[in-house]
Amino acid sequence: MGVISIQNLTRDYGLGKGIFDVSFEVERGEIFGFLGPNGAGKTTTIRHLMGFIRPRSGECRINEMDCWKKHDEIQKQLGYIPGEISFFEDMSGREFLKFAADYRKLDRDNRMQEMLDRFELDPKGKIKKMSKGMKQKLGIAAAFMHDPDILILDEPTSGLDPLMQNRFIELIAEEKKRGKTVLLSSHMFEEVERTCDRIGIIRNGKLVNVDFVEKLRERHMHTYTVMLDTEEKAKAFAKDFEGSRDGVKVTVSAKQSLETIFMDYYGGGQND
Amino acid sequence: MINLALYKREMKGSVKVLLIFAAIVTLYVTIIISMYDPEMVETLDSFYDIMPEVMAAVGMSAGSTSLIGFMISYLYGFILLVFPMLFCILRGNGLVAKYVDRGSMVTLLAAPVKRRTIAMTQLSVMLSGIVLLVLYITGLEVVAARVSFPGELAVPELLKLNTALLCLHLFIGSICFFASCAFSDTKYSIAVGAGIPALTYVLQMLANTGEKAEKVKYFTFFTLFDAAGVVEGERAAIFGAAVLFMGAVLLFGSAIGVFCKKDMHI
Repeated sequence: MGVISIQNLTRDYGLGKGIFDVSFEVERGEIFGFLGPNGAGKTTTIRHLMGFIRPRSGECRINEMDCWKKHDEIQKQLGYIPGEISFFEDMSGREFLKFAADYRKLDRDNRMQEMLDRFELDPKGKIKKMSKGMKQKLGIAAAFMHDPDILILDEPTSGLDPLMQNRFIELIAEEKKRGKTVLLSSHMFEEVERTCDRIGIIRNGKLVNVDFVEKLRERHMHTYTVMLDTEEKAKAFAKDFEGSRDGVKVTVSAKQSLETIFMDYYGGGQND
Repeated sequence: MINLALYKREMKGSVKVLLIFAAIVTLYVTIIISMYDPEMVETLDSFYDIMPEVMAAVGMSAGSTSLIGFMISYLYGFILLVFPMLFCILRGNGLVAKYVDRGSMVTLLAAPVKRRTIAMTQLSVMLSGIVLLVLYITGLEVVAARVSFPGELAVPELLKLNTALLCLHLFIGSICFFASCAFSDTKYSIAVGAGIPALTYVLQMLANTGEKAEKVKYFTFFTLFDAAGVVEGERAAIFGAAVLFMGAVLLFGSAIGVFCKKDMHI
């Protein structure tokens, strides 16, 4: 059984909203990308995993513990970045992080400072006055400071600039090397493509596809062989289009970006 | 049982509100107690003769000659009911519903802390605030009476009276806290948590004004707080306070139950 396991989870909000019969597992040390358009049910699924809402049918477990009944046990080893960051606005960033550490009963020896340095965040100011990006960084620091084994990240890079997005992707890659299990919900195809082992695509509350990133790519790769007039031209062509050359024959493959693949799954649908 | 870090944070939030209410109460209590003297009572009683409905509506009645009777007339009908009630409404809503509504409840739930512990902590903050406020009022009354009229105030009677007052405010607090736990939207939590106490107070004012509206008293829980009766040691008045206390225990308990079971779309 995977570290994160969701079995036939259904939550019907009526009018076609909700999640329906969602099942998937995330294995230890795996990074699982959870992709889907707005309102597809990503956050609803995550709320079940966090024990915020009780499953009406089906079940979800983390480390073989029921997410609703044992939420406090599970949280010991879990880091969470919410999709919408809303901390205590009356506190300064520093006060909030100190509160979060005390609330979790962490000792001083935690990763808070490392995270602040990594994301160049100065948490002195009031949270109320912080930009979206700063709040996001604060959320990252709060989620990683207790060095959890499992990470549930709901659109973790929203609001971050490209440089910081990169740093975040590096952080995820490092955590994977350290054996952490990650569920990453995202709109950012590049982010998912660069970090994830497997991807689940959710649409209208139904999981439409779960597969390895490589498999998805292979399935959607188109290969063409062209004949050029001269070997010179073939060489140049092969160089420009990253193809392989055999005499005057050049084989090129058009890799669809994950975005295009993604669009295939839910493009043109009546999602809204 | 409770989370100390959260308790500390919330008490900090309570202290600001408490200071404001303590200041208001200090102002009224000291002024009104210093106004006590038999001649002044006559003046106030003459007000009562001129406009009995208005005076009665805010719980002020004529004919009290002892200091505690005077205080019951002029403090326990309006000031010591309404200001602690406002405190209950403000904190009750702020401790749970506001966090769920704004989403900051995520911070509290996404940690190895049981929901029961979170609810118990917020409840402790609520209780601490109410108890502190009533304790402060009691201390203030004793000091103010001692300074202006040494030997006039029977402290055991005051303690009985303020125990009943505490029961009343615990009950009001429990309504606010229950509303805060039951509704995830501050709109509804305020509508119920502030609406019920405020409406019943208005009914109480109505019931006080005259015979025609007297039946209204059966529709307001303020009737259960019978200040003069408690001081006299009347059985019905003590029973009323006990009912308020039991009601508070019941509502606080249900509030925690509701909070532990509810879905939070945060």
